[in-house]
Amino acid sequence: MIQIINGLVYGSFLYVLAVGLVLIFGLRRVTNFAHGGFFMLGAYVSYAVAAYLGFWTGMVVSVAALAAFGVLLDRFVFRPLSSEEPIVTLLVTFGLLFVLEDAVRTIWGKNYISVAAPEALAGSVTIFGSQFPVYRLFVIAVAVTVALGLAIWLRSTRVGLYVRASSVDPVTTGMQGVDTDRLSALVVAIGTGLAGLSGTIAGPLMALSPSMGGYIIIDCFIVVVTGGLTSFTGAFVAALVIGQFHNLGLVYVPEVASVIPLLIMAVVLGLRPQGLAGAGK
Amino acid sequence: MSDAVTQRKPGVAAAVGAGPRVPTFVVAAAVLAAAGFAVPWLIDSQLALTLMTQAVIYAILATAIGFMIRQNGLTSFGHAAFFGMAVYLMALNGKFDAVPAELAVLAAIAVPAAFAFLAGLIIVRLPALSFSMLTLAVAQSLHELMLRWRELANGDDGMPVRLPSTLFGVDIELFQAPSTMFVVCWVVLVAVIALLTLVARSHFGVLTVAIRENEERTRYVGYHTLVPRALVFALSAAVGGLAGVLFALYNAFATPGALHWSLSGEALIMAVIGGPHAIWGPALGAVVFFVVKDAVGDLTEHWPAIIGATLIVVTVLLPQGVSGLLARFTGRRAASKP
Repeated sequence: MIQIINGLVYGSFLYVLAVGLVLIFGLRRVTNFAHGGFFMLGAYVSYAVAAYLGFWTGMVVSVAALAAFGVLLDRFVFRPLSSEEPIVTLLVTFGLLFVLEDAVRTIWGKNYISVAAPEALAGSVTIFGSQFPVYRLFVIAVAVTVALGLAIWLRSTRVGLYVRASSVDPVTTGMQGVDTDRLSALVVAIGTGLAGLSGTIAGPLMALSPSMGGYIIIDCFIVVVTGGLTSFTGAFVAALVIGQFHNLGLVYVPEVASVIPLLIMAVVLGLRPQGLAGAGK
Repeated sequence: MSDAVTQRKPGVAAAVGAGPRVPTFVVAAAVLAAAGFAVPWLIDSQLALTLMTQAVIYAILATAIGFMIRQNGLTSFGHAAFFGMAVYLMALNGKFDAVPAELAVLAAIAVPAAFAFLAGLIIVRLPALSFSMLTLAVAQSLHELMLRWRELANGDDGMPVRLPSTLFGVDIELFQAPSTMFVVCWVVLVAVIALLTLVARSHFGVLTVAIRENEERTRYVGYHTLVPRALVFALSAAVGGLAGVLFALYNAFATPGALHWSLSGEALIMAVIGGPHAIWGPALGAVVFFVVKDAVGDLTEHWPAIIGATLIVVTVLLPQGVSGLLARFTGRRAASKP
């Protein structure tokens, strides 16, 4: 039972990371191969800030810094390359991943760094007769907040409407007078900001290292593709299912756990090539 | 792209057979392969030969990626999966003494190909973007698998590739001394490029280019489109596996690094630098890559940042790569995109 909740924690965390990519894909029809690098950078930034100003300030700074990075990414990478083939953007962001990993390794070194949970969340509670760290419940709460926040924002605000319209058809949305470039800057900023957020909450869950981005991107990409690339609900369901099974795998068959998400994906895509919630071609 | 059309003519000529005339590229390949034998006599430095042997092995991997881009229009960000799979198959066979090493060599080429074919049936149907994401994810999960499964593969410390004293009747020393291994790898590279050129010019090659350009229309004409694309992926994986076999023979050691995304990335960068429009482009890219790597010397500590930046610059400023640039100068074939 406690493992099911742990799976939920991992799934929640994956969702926060993956939904950032879904947002970016919706607007720009490309993916950010450096997303794992942004996640890692977010983790290190909040670690560095938290050492002086505490966990919560670290979180805010990390999200803000990564969002600012997102604006730059959109302005200097996505927008100028939007007339090119998507692969050009993939290659450029992939190059960025190399640069980011090198930068982080140079600044913070390649050793593992462990981060303590903030004091307010350091304890544990008793659930179903076993001890469970409060911090892990907090991760679930963050994911629920992000999911609800996004749902409300997308469904009941004007900007949210534009974002949804744009993810169905960016060209037509632009023709209707929506400034898709400004919208895209906002959405990419939210997407990378979420990478900063997930990097921050990952700190106390797993150790920090420059390779953490390369590790997490496996499940993240699988979740995004399995969910159907553009669907928030699809990403949500895929994150919870894949997070759950990967975590159970880590408990019962730790050696081969890393291939479980692949198998789930193979089954889903074998049956539904467009992904869980993706529209047909 | 005009490529499909210009490719057609030599394709038809090759299919008809065109009498006893030997195609120019076969002559060129034979001359190049022979030239490789001269290299160890011309270059004394073991260090240089070692570096060149590594370069040629990576050139084979880059050629595999380039062929995939050229024939399928799909970019693999995880070709280290096939390379590393071959390395580990060789290593694990040495550990468990399962089959003769000769058979392991063949398996190390066939297994990645079969894996790619089966995976390809699922993932080449996806949009190009998803394909790229998943190749990276698949390679990274194999990397995790070998890293985590310590009893099997000894994790991060890696494992030796135990080889018999002779392979295919040849002294194993031959595969481990730079002066002889360079020639072996060089001949393999030239043969691979010649073979892939032949495939690209065949009916099958033209068909896959047609699918790349417009899958729906090719289907309407009456072709199955899924299997040819999966086959291209399998062929590309086999070539990647072949590079892994050479690596395993030469270094006699396997580490998870052989599966890591940065290796896939480096090979992809070579392909992009060289330009995958020409089948020999990625191999040329590998040469450029290693020359640059040697030149930056002291800065190699920040090598990842350098290659990352190089990838960005080349992608934006030189989308056709060096081979595209050469083609433009010689004016032989308009390799530019419309």
